[in-house]
Amino acid sequence: MAKVIELDNLTVQLGGRVILDRLAGTLSGKCIGLLGPNGSGKSTLINTLLGFYSAAAGSALIFGKDVRTNLRDLRAQIGYMPESDAFIADMTGVRFVRYMAELSGLPPGEAMERAHEAFFYVGLGEARYRKLGTYSLGMKQLAKLAQAIVHGPRLLLLDEPTNGLDPEARQRMLHLVREIRDTGEVNVLISSHLLRDVEECCDEVIILKEGKIAALCNLEEERKANLKFLELEVTQGNGFLESVRALGCECASFGAGRLKVVLPDNIELRQLYRLAAEHSVEIRRMNYRRDSLEDIFLKAMTGSTSAGPPPPPPPRSAHGSL
Amino acid sequence: MAVYKRTFKAYKGPLTPAWSRFTVLSRYGFSTLFESRALTAYTVLCFLPFLVGLVFIYVVHSGAVQALLNVRFGRTPLINNYWFMGLLSVEAWMSFVLTAWAAPGMISKDFANHAVQLYLSRPLSRAEYLVGKVSVMTALLSCTTWIPALLLFLLQAELEGHGWGWDNLWLAGSIFVAGMLWIALIALIAMAISVWVRWRIAATALMMAVFFVLPGFGVVVNVILRTRWGALLNLSHMITSVWWHLFRIRLADGETVRFTRLEVPLWAAWAALLAVCAFCTWILNTKLKAREAVRG
Repeated sequence: MAKVIELDNLTVQLGGRVILDRLAGTLSGKCIGLLGPNGSGKSTLINTLLGFYSAAAGSALIFGKDVRTNLRDLRAQIGYMPESDAFIADMTGVRFVRYMAELSGLPPGEAMERAHEAFFYVGLGEARYRKLGTYSLGMKQLAKLAQAIVHGPRLLLLDEPTNGLDPEARQRMLHLVREIRDTGEVNVLISSHLLRDVEECCDEVIILKEGKIAALCNLEEERKANLKFLELEVTQGNGFLESVRALGCECASFGAGRLKVVLPDNIELRQLYRLAAEHSVEIRRMNYRRDSLEDIFLKAMTGSTSAGPPPPPPPRSAHGSL
Repeated sequence: MAVYKRTFKAYKGPLTPAWSRFTVLSRYGFSTLFESRALTAYTVLCFLPFLVGLVFIYVVHSGAVQALLNVRFGRTPLINNYWFMGLLSVEAWMSFVLTAWAAPGMISKDFANHAVQLYLSRPLSRAEYLVGKVSVMTALLSCTTWIPALLLFLLQAELEGHGWGWDNLWLAGSIFVAGMLWIALIALIAMAISVWVRWRIAATALMMAVFFVLPGFGVVVNVILRTRWGALLNLSHMITSVWWHLFRIRLADGETVRFTRLEVPLWAAWAALLAVCAFCTWILNTKLKAREAVRG
């Protein structure tokens, strides 16, 4: 996969404080999640990629070009949706988006056409002649997305795109993001503190903690690498445990019928049910879970932060030792 | 991306030249300004001195019209540097009101809802943003100040004949320099105040205060400290001083005006005006940012 963002010991200081501390890593996913608690430096990283803040040390490259020396060229290829409100209240939606398209270099005619298309695309077609100041919060978010995509960018930076949205609007926003991602023409970077949003859209995640990279991982690979964990509570039955082991599962008993089972990818749950039936064992409780982004995030938050490249992924046993 | 398909598609069409992007700001700035009927009407009113001057020059050079109106102008050269400075002064104060009305809204609207970050996330520098905004005011104010004055100068030169235009060519330069100095001063002050307070009404009020309240403080400073340097706070007085020099205004006895009218030396007036312009530029450079870092 082509490299989208490369960070080389990127350090940013604001007001005498180190906000980003020697970030290093390469991001190449189609949709990259930027996670971290409040104040971890997510927005600062986006602002640095946009050239709003300059690096105190190190560098950041987008599509192989240094942000400091190719800012104008890169900004033409970036669509930015800020976290906070960003609009001109007494302008109609379509005029505002057309204005932004023209500032990105589109000729007036093309800008007008694409502004209308962008508004229809995000689902605000009927409201495009209303002044932005009269839009609801959800509509403003969609209008911000429209101005970010109107010039057909190669990289879309979305800073907390689902902030303040009701569940329906949130789903709509995430659907749009996934749809844009799936066109294959745009790379998307989503900054969020909502794990669910990132998990639904992203294939790569960078987690920041106190201005440092706490984790950098490919979610797809991480998901594939993870084993399935089962927590079972069963009635006593002779030979059930041994049969499960014979099936190829790692298994541990904690007494009173409580079992923990690691299910390899090639083993289906129905095979466990079959074994239980064969041994006349009743399965009274079953918790089935995979290692989620939440686990990865919590591990990153509780683990020590490190400067420079992220630590190698923990061994599989670390996901849950039996 | 098409309306009927409703899918995202990258743009692969032609792009406008990078150097011309600031003109987008100018174009939208003009169109937004003239959405207000009241402002459009006032802008038209700003051309009234030009029309009056046009008629006056014509009447002065037309014996038939003078006879028709039953008026007679003597041999005194009525259209001269005094006349042009008077005309430009009237135009300048009308353009000041225009600036105080229009300029703050142009920038404060962008700041009110954090739209500046959207401008600056595009291939547009801070300097281009400012040039785009200032060019709107410069073009508008030029059309209501020195351009009409220069047109009247050309008309006068044509009707007067006998080499009047060549003999008074310096006057054309004075009109241009005086006009541009005034435009730079009020446009920069208006923009700087707008960026600083970010609230249109407050910016307009503050601009009025700079020109009408600050001179009062200057007088107080003069009285308390028994000095004349408090006059530096009176920007309209400073600009008048410079204009008198540019238009070669002389006293009745033929002496070049120096400190009889001026409370501070001419160089100090120039320095004060240039310092104000530089300070406004510094404020614009400091405050016009997509993001502000909080110190601490």
